[in-house]
Amino acid sequence: MTPERWQQISRIFKSAISLDSEARAAYLKAQCSDDDSLRAQVEELLASHQRAGDEDFIGGLAAEAAAPLLIDDDAAGPTRPTLTKGQQFGSYVVLDSLGAGGMGEVYLARDTRLDRTVALKVLSSDISQDKRRMQRFRQEAKVASSLNQPNILTIFEFGEVDRLTFIATEFIDGETLRHHLHGKRLKLPEVLDISIQVLAALDAAHDARIVHRDIKPENVMIRRRDHVVKVLDFGLAKLTEKKVSQDEEESEAATEFKTAPGFIMGTLNYMSPEQAQAHAVDVRTDIWSTGVMIYEMVTGVIPFSGATTSHTIVQILEKDPVPLTKVVQAPAELERVVAKAMAKNPDERYQTAKDMLIDLRSLKKRLDIDAEIHRTSSPDTPAHEVDTDPGRRIVLLLALIAMAVVTASIFAFSVWRSRRSSPSSSVTTPVAPPVERTLTYWITVQKFKDGQKYQAPFTLAGEINFESSYHIRVHIRSPEQGYLYIFNEGPPTAAATTEYVVVFPSTTANNNSSLISAGQEVQIPEKSWLEFDQQQGVEKLWLVFSKDTVAELESARQAASPQTKNLIADAGQNKVVGDFLAKNSIAKPEWEKGPSLTTIKSPGNLLVYAIKLEHH
Amino acid sequence: MTQSPRQHEITALLAEWREGNQSALDELYPLVYNELHRLARRYMSRERKGHTLQTTALINEAYVRLVDQKNVQWANRSHFFAISAQIMRRILIDHARRHAYAKRGGGAQQVSLEEVAIVATDQGRELIRLDEALKALGEMDPRRSQVVELRYFGGLNNEEIAGVLHISENTVTRDWNMARAWLYQQLTGSGAN
Repeated sequence: MTPERWQQISRIFKSAISLDSEARAAYLKAQCSDDDSLRAQVEELLASHQRAGDEDFIGGLAAEAAAPLLIDDDAAGPTRPTLTKGQQFGSYVVLDSLGAGGMGEVYLARDTRLDRTVALKVLSSDISQDKRRMQRFRQEAKVASSLNQPNILTIFEFGEVDRLTFIATEFIDGETLRHHLHGKRLKLPEVLDISIQVLAALDAAHDARIVHRDIKPENVMIRRRDHVVKVLDFGLAKLTEKKVSQDEEESEAATEFKTAPGFIMGTLNYMSPEQAQAHAVDVRTDIWSTGVMIYEMVTGVIPFSGATTSHTIVQILEKDPVPLTKVVQAPAELERVVAKAMAKNPDERYQTAKDMLIDLRSLKKRLDIDAEIHRTSSPDTPAHEVDTDPGRRIVLLLALIAMAVVTASIFAFSVWRSRRSSPSSSVTTPVAPPVERTLTYWITVQKFKDGQKYQAPFTLAGEINFESSYHIRVHIRSPEQGYLYIFNEGPPTAAATTEYVVVFPSTTANNNSSLISAGQEVQIPEKSWLEFDQQQGVEKLWLVFSKDTVAELESARQAASPQTKNLIADAGQNKVVGDFLAKNSIAKPEWEKGPSLTTIKSPGNLLVYAIKLEHH
Repeated sequence: MTQSPRQHEITALLAEWREGNQSALDELYPLVYNELHRLARRYMSRERKGHTLQTTALINEAYVRLVDQKNVQWANRSHFFAISAQIMRRILIDHARRHAYAKRGGGAQQVSLEEVAIVATDQGRELIRLDEALKALGEMDPRRSQVVELRYFGGLNNEEIAGVLHISENTVTRDWNMARAWLYQQLTGSGAN
């Protein structure tokens, strides 16, 4: 924007702001006469003014907003007590530093009395100074630990050495669920496996009247050797909360998360609506957070995640996430469980972890049986393994069906129990998934200014009209294994045949192999960014996803090489590609643009779709 | 109050800067930065125990400590506030950057205590984005950008801002409205620009 334009806009804005809507419209019309873009700019600014006021945007002070940063930094400063490798600390010897956060530091240590390895958390002095809260935290954490539930991290000792408060817990050699997810999706059996263990931990804790309050992937560890899940830090979330007043200390009433206007402590994305509003919380807040976590494991997407903290809160309070099955292939029953866990009103959620646990266990059982039936009746079974005795085979099948019926009725019972309020629902019977191909994609945009990256990259669910200064990356994923081919077709030219660039696979993408596995994320380009050329218009990125390898495309892509910048350098082969795309793109696949990604579905074994990238 | 040599020096530098000597600002900057940073840290640790951080109180305290009160002049005070707002912005953004870009990854296996660092990172990013948008605004419209700096980073009220910038309070309000709407648009991605 030129300074002149800016001055012009601000002059009109200044006057328009004090007028009522009718007078404003007339004033804008008079001032902007036939300059529609000027008028649009002023109107947008007026709308932003309204929203900024409603949301109290920068209504507080920067220092208040940044207070936690300074506190944290303070803790990390030179005044902080740091243990060093080999140092004796009470009866512990420090072996290694595992990391640090605002609440303290974590070390790997050896307990010399009992000769065992422990994780040692040294709490920062600010936190441990609040004796009453520490007392409560110790109490809760101890109770949780004493439940001896295999999915709750065991606490060995609370103590103080040289005026430093520490907690010694069992050391888990593994990774947090956050690390494990690493932005990808998990397969259904693993999702169920993890969720069931988390809920088992919550069930035991809830029975002892302990609410975790901060269930999220960072607080769930998966042990390397046996994949046992451990829920960490029961009671710890309490320490970071701020009480509205000291009187309410005992009443478990409203806990205040706000540290400053517009900012809230704690990881927002998993917070329940009641938590986000700083209302009283109970066990049902953990149910919500578990639901959010399952949604993330299944889809790879955090359901409530806005550009700013206040956007995230608005989403938590108001947005209904895209149903699971619209994002990925998932059983309808899982979608129902997750939706119920994430009901905005706590009264409509599962009331106990046990109920949710029962539903997930029966779902798991049903899926196991489906898989068993599928396995034993699969025509792919090699001949020598086929049971040739028809009598025995029927008996086996009958036994399996009987099991399925029993499970289905347990399942139906639990559905009935948890769903009395919505009688219209029916129990889904296991059916073979229809033959179809599914792809999801999303786009990362990086703005550039004077050849330099400008602002942080952001993601889009699908296409927009791109600026020429935008550089993009396209991400593609499918829940199914298959053969993926991606071709770039530039804006139409006068040339007789359209030329295609093979974008995927290539020597730098997927090792020149078109086969991708289920859930594998393909990123184009892998390291750099896709730039638009000077030629304006619509670029097409053709996606071909097939159950089987496509012979004509395999041979056509041989005509492209790094020497030709992956352009198919053969008119005949370009025609083959063009014909193939034309022939197969007639059947328009279904597509749905969600909040964070676009899903395309096509019946049959082949999906052909063009992402249209318009730029100017 | 006894006057320290430092107070004397800072008061003199403020006067020089007010009279247009830019190099006085260069000398002033680190002195005020250190004091504000030290005070901010102290205030923050107090904040832990239930107080809220009052930027104005903090800058006031720095002012009383740093500037010779016998030679106090309104102009000195407003200049001190203007520079302090700028410095507070710098201190906060420095911290936010450190949080947004450092601290991630590596060895954080057992660490769920890292939660606070993660939150801070979120807030840090928001602050950094605001700072960048404010810079862009400053290029088009330095005064409006300064109004935001004085109010949001310096904690000054409209009357004080009017005094620092030699404009009317009404103008301060109007500048604030316009600047805030534009910043909001930049940060939320609404609008065509």
